[in-house]
Formats: sequence, C-alpha cells, structure tokens
Amino acid sequence: MSEDRQIRILYVAGALGFMAFSLGPILYMALTAASRRPDFLSRASGLEFTLAHFIAVAGTPSLHFLDNLRNSIVVSGCASALCVAVAAPAAYAIARLRLPGRAFFLLCVLAVSMFPPVSLVSYLFKVMGALDWINTYRALVLPYTAWILPLSLWILTGYFAQVPVDLDRAALVDGCSGLGVLRKVVIPVAAPGIFSTALLAFILAFNEFLFALMLTTDHAARTVPVGIALFEGLHGEIPWGVVMAAATLTTVPVVLLTLVFQRRIVQGLTRGAVKG
Amino acid sequence: MDRSPGELLRGYAFLLPLALFLAAFVLVPIGGTFVGSLMRDVTFLPERFAGAENYRALLSDPGFAQALRFTVLFTAASVPLELLLGLAVALLLAHPSRARGALRACVLIPWAIPAAVSGKVFQLVYNYNYGLANYLMNAMGVVDRPVNWLGTSTGAFLSLVLADAWKTTPFVAIILLAGLSGIPGHLYLQAQIDRAGYLRRFTRITLPLLSTVLLIALLFRTIDALRVFDLMFVLTGGGPGGSTTSLSLYGYNYFLGGDFGYGSAVSVVLFLIALGLSLLYLRVGRFARELP
Repeated sequence: MSEDRQIRILYVAGALGFMAFSLGPILYMALTAASRRPDFLSRASGLEFTLAHFIAVAGTPSLHFLDNLRNSIVVSGCASALCVAVAAPAAYAIARLRLPGRAFFLLCVLAVSMFPPVSLVSYLFKVMGALDWINTYRALVLPYTAWILPLSLWILTGYFAQVPVDLDRAALVDGCSGLGVLRKVVIPVAAPGIFSTALLAFILAFNEFLFALMLTTDHAARTVPVGIALFEGLHGEIPWGVVMAAATLTTVPVVLLTLVFQRRIVQGLTRGAVKG
Repeated sequence: MDRSPGELLRGYAFLLPLALFLAAFVLVPIGGTFVGSLMRDVTFLPERFAGAENYRALLSDPGFAQALRFTVLFTAASVPLELLLGLAVALLLAHPSRARGALRACVLIPWAIPAAVSGKVFQLVYNYNYGLANYLMNAMGVVDRPVNWLGTSTGAFLSLVLADAWKTTPFVAIILLAGLSGIPGHLYLQAQIDRAGYLRRFTRITLPLLSTVLLIALLFRTIDALRVFDLMFVLTGGGPGGSTTSLSLYGYNYFLGGDFGYGSAVSVVLFLIALGLSLLYLRVGRFARELP
C-alpha cells in the first residue's frame, strides 16, 4: 500500500472519529430533549419523540429560562459593545501612533488577562454589595468588559496595524482631524476586525460563569449558564428532558452564530493568541 | 518622527479608558483580595487584622492540599492530552480535502457552547444507569458492568479530563492551524523531492517550525486549566468526597460559607501561580511576536 493511500485512510478515519467526538454529545443532548424519557438508549421503546420539554422550558414562567436568556443576551451585548468602544481607541493609539512604551503596555494588559477570576470575585461581591449593585446588569457588564478587554485590545491592535499608514496621511492632508481619521478611514477599513472582536467578546461574555454565579441572585439578572447549572427538580432528581431542552435552546443560537461567522471567529482567535 | 508633548499626551489619552477599566475591575479587586487574605473576615463575626494567620492555616489544611494536588494533576493530565488531540485535529484541518469546510465548522461548536451547559450534558453522558458513555462501552463490549463514572474519584477525574478535552481541543487546534499555515509550502515540496516520508517531514519540518506556537498553546491552556471552575462546579460538584475540587472551587466554597479571609488566601495562592506562569509566557512570547 502506498504512503499516500495510508495517509488518506488515516485522514478519513480521523475526520470521522473527530466529527463523532465533537458532535456526539450535542446530538445526544438534542435527542434527550426531544425524547419522552431520558433513558431512551436502554429502552426497547426507543426514542418516543415529544416537544413537551421544549414547550415546558419556554412556557413555564417559574423556570425563568426566557428571563435568563434575555439577561444573557443583554449583558453579553452590552459588554461586547463596551469592549469594542473602549478597546478600539487604545488599539488605534498603540498600532498607529508609535507611542513610547506601547510594547510594555500590551504585555501588561496580556498578563492581566491571565489572572484567575476567583481572585477578583470576592472583592467585587463586597463592593457591589455595598453599592447595592448585586443582581443588576451593570454588576456583570462592567467586570465582563474589563475581563474581555485584554483579548479585544490584542485582536484590534493586529487589525489596526494592517491599515496602511498612507491612508491616514492622505486624510490628514485633506484636512481631517485625528479623530476624523479614526472615524472616517481607520474604522471603516478595520471594520471586519472590529466585527470579529465584538463577536468573540459576545461569546466569551455569554459563556462566563463564576462572576454571574456570585454577582446575581435571581432571574432579574441571572444568565443562562448559571440558570442551567442551578436547575434542580422538585425532588432532587434532575429533570433531564427539561434541562436538555434548555441546553439545546441555548446551544442553537450559539451554534448558528459560530457556523455563520466561522471564518471571523477563527481569525479573531488566532490574532489574539498567536499573531497579536 | 518628532512629536510635541501635547501630541504624545493626546495619544496616551486614547489608552486611558482601557487602563481605568482594568484598574477598577481587575487590579483594585486583586489588591482588595490580597488585603482581605490578611484579615479574619467571617460573616457575623467582627472583622480584624490577622496577618499571616490564614496562610499558616492553609499549610496544615488537608482540604487545601487535596485541591492543590487535584488542580496540578488535572492540569498535567488534560493539557498534554489537549495538545496532542489539538495537533491531530489541526493536521486534519490543514489537509486539503472536500470535507475541510465541514470539519472547520464542527471544530468551533464545542468551544462556543458555555462550559456550564456542556458540563450538564456530560453529567447525563456519564449517568450510571442510562448515560451515553456506559451505553457505548457496553455496546462495544469494553465492559460487562456499567462504570461508576461520577461516583468514584478516579472515574470523576477521568470524566472531567475527557469533558475538558472535548471543550478545549478546538481552541488548541485553531491556534496550531494558524501556526501550520505559516509554514512555507516550498519546504514540503523540497522534502518530497528528496523523498522524505510523511513521518520524516512531520518530525523534521512541521514540529520544529510549530514549536513556538505549541509553546504558546501550552501556556495558555496551562493557565486556563489551573483556574478551572465551572466544569467541576457543574459536572462533579467537586466530589466525590472533595476529590475533584479545584483551587478555584475550593476558594469559592469558602466565600459561599462566609469565610472571606480564608477564601481570599486560597485565591491569592492561585493568583501567584498564574502570575508566575504568565510572566514565563511573556518571556517566551517576546521572541515569538513582532509588535506593530
């Protein structure tokens, strides 16, 4: 057997194995959500299809799933927008203005992103308790923004550095102000990068857990991950069908977002981690 | 290019909002946690300065030793596994084929789902009576009795490592893929002309040229694994018997119980470990990147 053929077989086996490993648990989640009973694998009757769990999740106000989802979307959306608004000027200055000390600044910001969240959360809990902010949106939006800023700065700096400096110069010659250059030249050219950053920031904020667990107390601000994690049945037994339906409903938008903007996310991730 | 002080000042003003955000919501809280770790700060008890009391107590606390040991073991088991799997997946993704688009789409999905949600799914996967894991192992004839995944400390450990690998292999793969695409193609062509086999091309070209990116992925993943929280919280609750309590979860449990001083001391230790590693990262990373 030729080497090319061996590699081909290895490739196909690897690709299939990997797809099964990645998608298997997700498929299992969706099937459990759509099955009358969670033990459908080991039952003779097999999967008895039902939409009851989805209807229960969306239609039972006391489960607060839709409240949690709304909180998640609002909090992540605000954090993502704020992140871009704060990181874009800083990235612009670092990439274009050749400020002395910019490399040191970037490295310090990167170091900040590696701090463990648990070493911030108790202090935030106390301060926000004193300000009476616990269980409000801003209690999550502000720390999330700070938390995701380092990555945003790194990604945006990479994108801004790509915009040719001649473009700025031309605009300056034509009588644009510094801010005008940013608004009329740099931002439009770097728009794909800004979009990638906003998308990544949204996903990271959407997935955050520890801050949301500690800084919210009920459905007024609690996010979906915490809502699903704390989901308990009445009698200690976890109502798997309902939990998996909630998990599926959470996963669908995330998966759609990922599939549609796959290229953008990959670009953002690799810029943040490798190329800077 | 000479610039007036005013111009430089305006430049730094662009950095100010970001610096303020980080100071207010990261640096000040870290300082606050450090100060808190020097206090005796238990709900309903008067707060007082305690010096190194909390840290001394850590030294003789078997729960802390267990959490530290678990965190290190979890990192040592999951990170190499994720790097190996990630490398394999990156090679798959780099291979030109018709399925490449579909594979690239698949790779991101586990990464994009909140860990708390996938943790809940894995809790069902590992269910003793009817979970997917036992069903598959039984169907393939690997075991004749169901495995008690979450009820034994070894089983719970393996469950966590596998669930973590599921979630974070994509991230590693995507970073490594960027490294792979940076390797000039003519090197491989030359090697093929020289009749170097696939394995030889891999060990002589791919691995050496990928080493910097591998190191970056290694350090990123190590820091993430050390501070892991949500997976344990959801999948095992730190059990059975506290055997899968990570340092983050251990600290959190003290916050939950109202002992903020002691919980802060635990967090400070974890912070120092992460800081040491990130300084190492910055030293290594300096060679790897060209700053704009």
